[in-house]
Amino acid sequence: MERGYVMSDQFTNEPMLDMYIFETSQFMEQLEQSILNSEKESTFTQEAINEIFRIMHTVKGSSAIMMFHNISTLAHTMEDIFYFIREQKPELINCTKLSDYVLEGIDFIKVEIEKIKAGDVPNGDAAALIEELHAFLSELKKTNGYAENLKTQKKAAVRPQQYYISQDKTKILDYKYIFKAVIFFEEGCEMENIRAYTILHNLKDYTEEYFSIPEDIINDEDSAEFIQENGFTIYLKSNHTYEQINEFLQQTIFLKSLELLKIDDVEEYNHTKNYSKELNYYTVSDMPVKPQNYDNGGDTRRNEVSKNSQPSTVHSMISVSVLKLDKLMDLVGEMVIAEAMVTQNPDLKDLVLDNFQKSSQHLNKITSELQDIIMSIRMVPLASTFQKMHRIVRDMSKQLRKEVKLEIIGENTEVDKNIIEHISDPLMHLVRNSIDHGIEDGVVRVKHGKDRLGTVTLEAKNSGSDVLVIVRDDGKGLDKEKILKKANEHGLLYKKPEDMTDREIFNLIFLPGFSTNDSVSEFSGRGVGMDVVSKNIEKIGGSLSVDSIPDKGTTITLTIPLTLAIIDGMNIKVGKARYTIPIVSIKESLRPNIKNIITDPDGNEMLLIRGQCYPIIRLHERFKVETQITDFSEGILIVVEQDNQTICVFADELLGQQQVVVKVLPSYLQKHHKIKGLAGCTLLGDGSISLILDVVGLIQI
Amino acid sequence: MKKVLIVDDAAFMRLTIKTIMDKIGNIECIEASNGTEALHRYKENKPDIVTMDITMTDMTGIDALKLIKEYDPKAKIVMITALGDEAMVKESIILGAISFIVKPFKDDYVINTIKKILAI
Repeated sequence: MERGYVMSDQFTNEPMLDMYIFETSQFMEQLEQSILNSEKESTFTQEAINEIFRIMHTVKGSSAIMMFHNISTLAHTMEDIFYFIREQKPELINCTKLSDYVLEGIDFIKVEIEKIKAGDVPNGDAAALIEELHAFLSELKKTNGYAENLKTQKKAAVRPQQYYISQDKTKILDYKYIFKAVIFFEEGCEMENIRAYTILHNLKDYTEEYFSIPEDIINDEDSAEFIQENGFTIYLKSNHTYEQINEFLQQTIFLKSLELLKIDDVEEYNHTKNYSKELNYYTVSDMPVKPQNYDNGGDTRRNEVSKNSQPSTVHSMISVSVLKLDKLMDLVGEMVIAEAMVTQNPDLKDLVLDNFQKSSQHLNKITSELQDIIMSIRMVPLASTFQKMHRIVRDMSKQLRKEVKLEIIGENTEVDKNIIEHISDPLMHLVRNSIDHGIEDGVVRVKHGKDRLGTVTLEAKNSGSDVLVIVRDDGKGLDKEKILKKANEHGLLYKKPEDMTDREIFNLIFLPGFSTNDSVSEFSGRGVGMDVVSKNIEKIGGSLSVDSIPDKGTTITLTIPLTLAIIDGMNIKVGKARYTIPIVSIKESLRPNIKNIITDPDGNEMLLIRGQCYPIIRLHERFKVETQITDFSEGILIVVEQDNQTICVFADELLGQQQVVVKVLPSYLQKHHKIKGLAGCTLLGDGSISLILDVVGLIQI
Repeated sequence: MKKVLIVDDAAFMRLTIKTIMDKIGNIECIEASNGTEALHRYKENKPDIVTMDITMTDMTGIDALKLIKEYDPKAKIVMITALGDEAMVKESIILGAISFIVKPFKDDYVINTIKKILAI
């Protein structure tokens, strides 16, 4: 795949980019959570600081490798701030401001990641934010009485080093050979001084009598540059031969060139040694030798993090690409069909096959287990989707100056991965609506005898094969009159207002072109109404309902199927056509007594069962299918219910229950011949195609 | 077949290094995401080289280095570090790390380092 941005050549491979995107987005969410928690506590715990520091450090590194320099630079700046906080533990931190900045940074990175995902160049400019962050850091230092800039802070941490060259031993030991080595490192290998130090450190096995130019390679910040330009020169005395020393030095990693000379003149050695001392590089042995204590952060970090890190040896999780799961899902779907094709093969009709029956039952058991497993693999808890809403509530309550808290219930409820992706946006919209239109201003709330602090509740729970996601607020509730008036203005009323139930009135807000708020605020009401929400939910086979009590609040319930792919269905027949009704919506099926059939003055047929009247839909009329059976006493009525509405579907006969794999209708049918009342199609055991009825669609017609 | 143990808490970095190892070829990569796991994997696999990230969750790479070195003084450990971490790198050298690689790196640098240590 061609991607439009520049990346270093070696890293154009996709898995790495995917991993980068995946991990960085995960980090951003983790970070956001951590910031929001800190803000709630209005302090950054040591743990949070370490976490933020570590995440920024990692993001800096991986972004730099992927050549996303804008992200890397921003992460670096934030890392610096938290490095300072971690090391210096300043007492006065403007928590709110810092949270704002970091969240802004997270947003920036998120946007860039989205661009990368879309194959665009992550070209955002974070310079302004970085400048603000720098200003924040200097301000932070000033208020806490640190005059130095961060560089010196870091350097200061480097200073207490154990570093010695044992010159005193010269007198005791006598060496056979003297060598001079000039070493150049490859360009760009970084930290040349530490590389030089590595050599000296390992040289101890060969000699104890040596010195180097530059002499101070750790503490002098220019030494790395000096070595880059002039090379690193070592003078040493040793009992090892030229070959041995040469071999040792040749092992140096990033070695560009090595010049090793044997020196016969002891005077040259001593002279250079004294001379090098006179150079600006002060003698290291003069420095006090201090124990290694520079990294307090390292130790505290270990102690604090180990508290909440899980036992690391237990590695029972793997991450698998969703594509593979989708493929597996498809295959299992195919297998369900294949199984039906075998066990219900027309050739087997009327044959008595005891053993075959046994085997096919066994097969059936295994395939359904397999199905359950693959379903469960794809299940993801709603937690992360719910947690995202904290941020929205925070931002909005700040912006609108309303005090709102978010309550989350049942965040561990699981739904199919594909579904999660589809409900995230609608949920966001609903939460925004609740805060923007639902929750009143604090003053108004107090006047109505409510708690000043408004509450938005997000709840998820299982209900049969559905998951209910509920967004509830304790705000002012929906205004029925206003809705009716507005619907009337837009010509959306399909019934007389007197005849409408509350629920029907509330449901008007989901119609396209309806928006109750006249003013457009920053968050909701940007011309995208609730109809988009309902469309998105319907796309995944879910539905929406509203309940509202004036001054008590509004509750919006999303009913979402657990999974999209395989459902339990009842196959029915009308003429030559086959239809499938989801088992969950079937209440009963019956052959009616003619006297229970009522016809209203408009010619609409209805069925009376146990004192209740339900409209009848004749499938053969609805879908214009030819059939012999048009008399109720010959066919069958299936009572189906969805969203508290019940209808009866009239068909020729029931064919039997079966698990069916839902396939989407061909795009031609979807686009050009939009047929209401069909949710999809499926393949039956005998190879014929059955249309899956969309009960909601049928009711609406 | 040489074995390399890649220790890093970020999966991205592990993948990056693994990709580079695959370029060298004939290298089996073992991964560990923290210090404790690193020691386990080391004991299990006796890798020829360990690449060790310095900033990790459960312990620093330096602590992990100590653990591995305690278990096997001959362990060849390459630290993966970032500019600004000079002090940490120095300590790891004192503690016996064989070399280090500075992030962000070009993969040639990693290849050269690994090849040199493996003497291939």
